[in-house]
Amino acid sequence: MAETLDIQEHKVEEHLQLPTPDNGEGGEKTVMDMSYGKTMMWYFLLSDAFTFSAFLIAYAAIRLGQPWWPNPNVVFKSFPFMHEANAPLGFVSVMTFVLILSSVAVVRAVQEGHRMNQKGVAIWMLGGIVGGLFFLGCQAWEWNNLIHEGLRPFYNPFGPDANGLTHLVHEHSIVSPGPIAFGALFFGITGFHGFHVFTGVCINVWAFFATINGTFQKRGHYEMIEKVGLYWHFVDLVWVFVFLAFYLM
Amino acid sequence: MAGHMSDEQYKSAVKAVWTATAILSVVTVVEVVVALTVGHLLPKFVLNSFFVIASVAKAFFIIGEFMHLKYEKRVFILSLGLPLLFLVWTLIALAVEGNYWNTLNFPK
Repeated sequence: MAETLDIQEHKVEEHLQLPTPDNGEGGEKTVMDMSYGKTMMWYFLLSDAFTFSAFLIAYAAIRLGQPWWPNPNVVFKSFPFMHEANAPLGFVSVMTFVLILSSVAVVRAVQEGHRMNQKGVAIWMLGGIVGGLFFLGCQAWEWNNLIHEGLRPFYNPFGPDANGLTHLVHEHSIVSPGPIAFGALFFGITGFHGFHVFTGVCINVWAFFATINGTFQKRGHYEMIEKVGLYWHFVDLVWVFVFLAFYLM
Repeated sequence: MAGHMSDEQYKSAVKAVWTATAILSVVTVVEVVVALTVGHLLPKFVLNSFFVIASVAKAFFIIGEFMHLKYEKRVFILSLGLPLLFLVWTLIALAVEGNYWNTLNFPK
C-alpha cells in the first residue's frame, strides 16, 4: 500500500513540473527566455522612455513655435576653473564622456558577474558609481553657473536682445528676452534626467554593498547587477537625446 | 560555483564592449566638432539631420550592446520597439503643430 502511494506522489510531482526553488527574484523563465525581473525592468524602462519622450517632444513643439531660440554655443560656453572661458560645448562634452565611461564600467561589472568574479563586479560597480557622482557634480556646477547668469524657469536672459542686438524676426522686432520657456524646459528636462542619475547612483551603491557582502555570490548568480545595469544604461541613453535637444541642435 | 560563460565568450564580449565604447566616443566627438566648426556653414536642416542620425546610431549601440538587447529574443525586441512607433507619430504631429504656431504668431 505504502509503495503505491509513493509511486503516485512521484507521478504527481513529475506531472506538475514544480518550479525551481525560489531565489528571491521570481527567477522562472518567461516565454521570452528572460527572467520576470529583467523583463519587468525592461517594460518599466519602456514606460520611462515614454515619459522622457513626452517632455522632449513638448520641447520640440514649443521650440518650433518660436522664431528664435538661444544658441547653445553661446549659452553653454563656460568651463570650471577657467574664468571668462569661451569653450562652447566643452564642459558638456566632458560630462557626456564621463557618463558613457560610467555605463561601460557597469557593463564590465555585468560581464564579471557572468564569471562569478565577486571582486571584479565590485571594482567595476565602484567605477560606475564614481562616474555617476562626477556627472552629478558637473550638472550641479552647470546649473549654478546658469542661475548666476540669470537663467530662471520663467526668465531667459539669453534672448535676442541679451547681446545688445536688435533682433528682427519676420520683420517683427522682439523686445523681451526670451523665449521664456527655455529655462523651464532646460531645468525641467535636465533636472528630471539628473534625478534619474541620482537614483541610479543610489541603486548602484546598494548593489555595490550587496556585492561585497556576497549576497549575489551566495545566490549563485549576478542577475541583480544586470537589472541595475539596465537602469543605469537607460540613464546614459536618455542623455544622448537630452544632449541632442539642448546642446547640439 | 563555475561561471556561466566560457573564456572565449568572455573575451569576445569584453572586446565588443570596448569597440562600442570607441564608436560612441568617436561619434560624440565628431558631433561636437561639427557643431563648433562647419556647423554654421551648413543649412540648418542638413546639420540637424546629421545630429539626429548620429544620436539614433548612438542609441542603437547603447541599447544593443550595453543593454544587451541585440542578443535577446526577437519577439521581446519587437514588444519594446513597436510601441515606440507611437512616439514617432507624436513627434511628427507636434512638430507640424509647432511650425503652425510659428506662422500664426509671426506671419511671414
